[in-house]
Amino acid sequence: MAGPPQFYFEDVVLHGVLDTPAMTITEAHVGIYAGLSHDLPARSDQVPELLPLCLTPGLGWRVNQPPLAVLAFMGFDWEVLQPVRVGDTIHSRSRTAVKRSMREGGVIVEERQVINQRGEVVQKGRFTFLVAKRPTDAAPTG
Amino acid sequence: MSPPSRRWFEEIEVGEEYESPGRTVTEADIVIFAGLSGDYNILHTDAEHMKSSIFGERIAHGLLGLAIQSGLFTRTGIPYATLGVGTLRWKFKGPIKIGDTIRLRARVSAKKESDTPDRGVVTVDRQVLNQRDEVVQEGETELVVERRPTR
Repeated sequence: MAGPPQFYFEDVVLHGVLDTPAMTITEAHVGIYAGLSHDLPARSDQVPELLPLCLTPGLGWRVNQPPLAVLAFMGFDWEVLQPVRVGDTIHSRSRTAVKRSMREGGVIVEERQVINQRGEVVQKGRFTFLVAKRPTDAAPTG
Repeated sequence: MSPPSRRWFEEIEVGEEYESPGRTVTEADIVIFAGLSGDYNILHTDAEHMKSSIFGERIAHGLLGLAIQSGLFTRTGIPYATLGVGTLRWKFKGPIKIGDTIRLRARVSAKKESDTPDRGVVTVDRQVLNQRDEVVQEGETELVVERRPTR
C-alpha cells in the first residue's frame, strides 16, 4: 500500500524558491507559545523571537506541494533582524541552497526568510534536513 | 513592590555555568506544538506509522525542544536584562520522546561590546540533556543584553 504523498529528495529542485501563505501573529499565539515553553518575550510589545522561527515549518505545510519526506531535522543557523509584534502578518520564503545525495537519503539545505506585511525580512537563516529518497514502490508525486 | 531583579551586561562573566531544572516532555506538549505551529509531520503525529520507524514512536518537534530550553534558561537563575536574541546556531543530535525529561546546561562563552552603547552581546553555549545525560540538542545563542542604565 502506498502511503500519503510526500516530497522526496529527488523531487527537490536546487535553487527552487517557495513562498508560503501568510499568517497574522496574535496574542493567542504568544500566550499558547509562552504557556507551552515558558519562553517569554523580552519586551511586552514584541513576540518571543523564537516564535516566528517555530512557525515557519508549519507555514511550509500550506504550499501546494506534498510535505518534504524529512527523516531528520539536523540543525539550523538563524539571525533575528527586526522585532515581530502582535498583529504583524508574516510569511516565509525558502530557497534550496544545497542538495547533496547520500547513500541513505540526501541532505537539503534551505535558506529561509521570514517576511512581514511591509516586505521586510525580519528573521532569516539556513535549515538543514536529511530527506528520504523515493522508495522504489512509491508512485511519483506532482 | 520592587521590579524583579535582572542582570545587566556588566554583571555577566565569561565562564559562568548554569543548569536548569528538568522538564518532562509530554504527549500534550507535542499535540499543542503541532496545533500552534501547523507542523503535523508524521514524525510527531502518527503513532502507528512511527512504530515501524527507527525511533519506534512519535518524537517531539526539534523546535519544541528549542522553545522549551529557551524557557528553561529563564529558570536557571536571575534572568538577564535581555533585549532579544541575536543569532542562533543549533544542532539536533537525537530524538526527544514522550516522557523524556530534558534539562539545559549552559555556559557563557563570550561577551562583546555593541555599536549601540546601551547594550552588549553575550554568547551562551547550550546543551539540552535527557534523563540519561545524552545530548539531544546543542548550540550557541547570542543574546543582546542591556547595560546598567547610567543615572
